[in-house]
Amino acid sequence: MKILVPLKRTADPDNANKIKIAAGGAKIVTDGLEPKINPFDEYAVEAALRLTENAKTRVAGDKVTIVSFGPKEAATNIRTALAMGADDGLLFHADDEALDGDLVARALAKVVETQKPDLVILGKQAVDGDSNQVGQILAELLQWPSATFAMSIELAKDKKSVIVGREVDGGVVKLKLELPAVITVDLRIVAPKSVVNNVTPATHVYSDGARYAPLPMIIKAKTKPIAEAPIASLGLDATLKSKYHTFELPPARKAGKKVKDVAELVGLLKSEAKVL
Amino acid sequence: MHSSTARLEALVAAFGSDLISTDPSDLIELGRDWTRVHTPAPLAIALPRSAAEVAALMRFCDAHDLKVVPSGGRTGLAAGAVAASGELVISLSRMRAMAPVDRLGNTVRVEAGAVTAAVHAHCAEVGLTWPVDFASKGSSQVGGNIATNAGGVKVIRYGLTRNWVLGLEVVTAQGEILSLNGALEKNNTGTDLRQLFIGSEGTLGIITAATLKLVALPRRHDVMIFAVPDVAAVVRLFRAVREAPMVLSAFEFFSEACRLRVERHRHLRPPFDGRYAYYVLVEFENSDRDAVETWAAGLFEGDLVEDGVVAQDASQGAAFWALRESISESLSGTGFPYKNDIALPIAGLEAFVDALEALLLRGYPAFEVCLFGHLGDGNLHVNLMKPDAMSREAFIAAAKVCDQSMFALVEAHRGSVSAEHGIGLLKRDALRFSRSPAELAMLRAVKRALDPKNLLNPGKVFDLDQ
Repeated sequence: MKILVPLKRTADPDNANKIKIAAGGAKIVTDGLEPKINPFDEYAVEAALRLTENAKTRVAGDKVTIVSFGPKEAATNIRTALAMGADDGLLFHADDEALDGDLVARALAKVVETQKPDLVILGKQAVDGDSNQVGQILAELLQWPSATFAMSIELAKDKKSVIVGREVDGGVVKLKLELPAVITVDLRIVAPKSVVNNVTPATHVYSDGARYAPLPMIIKAKTKPIAEAPIASLGLDATLKSKYHTFELPPARKAGKKVKDVAELVGLLKSEAKVL
Repeated sequence: MHSSTARLEALVAAFGSDLISTDPSDLIELGRDWTRVHTPAPLAIALPRSAAEVAALMRFCDAHDLKVVPSGGRTGLAAGAVAASGELVISLSRMRAMAPVDRLGNTVRVEAGAVTAAVHAHCAEVGLTWPVDFASKGSSQVGGNIATNAGGVKVIRYGLTRNWVLGLEVVTAQGEILSLNGALEKNNTGTDLRQLFIGSEGTLGIITAATLKLVALPRRHDVMIFAVPDVAAVVRLFRAVREAPMVLSAFEFFSEACRLRVERHRHLRPPFDGRYAYYVLVEFENSDRDAVETWAAGLFEGDLVEDGVVAQDASQGAAFWALRESISESLSGTGFPYKNDIALPIAGLEAFVDALEALLLRGYPAFEVCLFGHLGDGNLHVNLMKPDAMSREAFIAAAKVCDQSMFALVEAHRGSVSAEHGIGLLKRDALRFSRSPAELAMLRAVKRALDPKNLLNPGKVFDLDQ
């Protein structure tokens, strides 16, 4: 089985240099920021790895390929996914500002044509734009079945279908998708028992969260192949459908208030916060 | 009792109830630090808004023979800010103004009550930082940092707080306001009085403002965590780190016992599947990640580590730091720790830890030992955990007996009984293990000269009358 995982790099909230907005709100200033893999995409990598390994070793014939669109520096982020265990990477050079969800989905559809994966697994959305649309547009373009906000994935023994759990109000809906298919994943996909591939022993318990790349794997990843090409090589119409109007930072938190007693607190919750 | 009531009335009459609080919850909270050994019992809490008000309060105390405990963020671990005998607590927490950063001189003047993390945020806006950093930075205040010459997690790179203070404003025991050294980098005009107050734990004067020296905020950090089998391996790893062609900004270690308590209290785990005896967090400043990774991989070939992970982004780095920085709160959150904070010459560390382990295992097999610290500075935090079946009193008494043997060991290995926590009330009786009789006599002479009535933080560091 072959899985394609698209990655987007996003600003790291733990970076010493914080995100700034250019005067007039025209754009986000990312100078001095070291981008990391969009967390939901990192969960997609983890899910893809769990689907294709026997606890630790890759199932013979299975493969996880990473694809990203962005500046040359995005290779660092692909390398991180390779260190986690993915096999190879594709990087299509593009300015971040020359991309939108629609163009990325169309580009991915082209990549799917040549890579022929059985599954495309993506994060449900990127934490910077929160657009939540690439997976859905891609499935439409490919005319593939899709499941969004996946919290669990079970691969059938014959590897011809998956059962995807989606958390909805008041319960879980399970969808059966015939492969090939598109899945977008939510936070809970990295819980210890969320991914079942019917190869890894049922007794194996994964750590909660996406795995850390062990040092020997980091070194090994330095020699794993990343094919690079300009995005123009995909032969797409580069016109963007989304245009950002302005950006603004969230308002600064107001200073807290010290209250004398519970009565004052209740009073303020009624009169000022208006939550009671 | 009569006279204290009269003094309290005079105090409120002179300064008003806005400046003086006798609210019972204030008396408890502002009358103690993070230690829980003494029962707070201050006369009142003063909350001045300026150095002039601090000076006026000191003049009142001088005239009325009222003892004073200066109070900052109260994150101390030596009971240096505990007011247990009817003192007036002077809290600097209202004085937290920060002037704009001087970007030419790389300095900033802040009032003593400015919270350390707020100073960091203030300076970060212009790409600078005050390189005094520790787990309690969200509560600790600059005045307290300076009065205790605080250490922390970046000492290996930047040294103690003392190195990062250019100027001090100090209110004396007599209520005079001193301005020491302004914002001068160089000022060779005789004995530097500023240094007297840094690390004096509030016994010589009250720090009301400081001009801090700043450095460029590091562009980036590489954080990694390693697993090793024993203390000898920690020291071997330190040697390798010292020889690495990178700028080291932290070398922290902790034992499996600490890790287990962090997991219980905070549900945090290191990025390893297995369990190991010791863990080491290493941080390099402004390096190239590729180079760091290649260097770190070499540690496996040299059999220096059992496992290791290099953070792939700042979030992972923050997660590794959280393991180390939540140890203190996790020990208190899951039990009752008896804390010691000792320093040893690094060359003798391994022999010392062997001797310490022998002492504790032989003499105190019932005590769980949680060992962690800034090993790169030779600084060990030795925490003994109270066994569930033992009463708190019996445990503290036993731990104090244990202290005597441990401090003798520290003295024999030419170490210090307090690396960075200070002396306060808790380590007062141990001071003799690290300071000679001649030194102690000199310290008393200085105290008598500056504070003849023994008004300022009396009984802290040493007893003046002995």
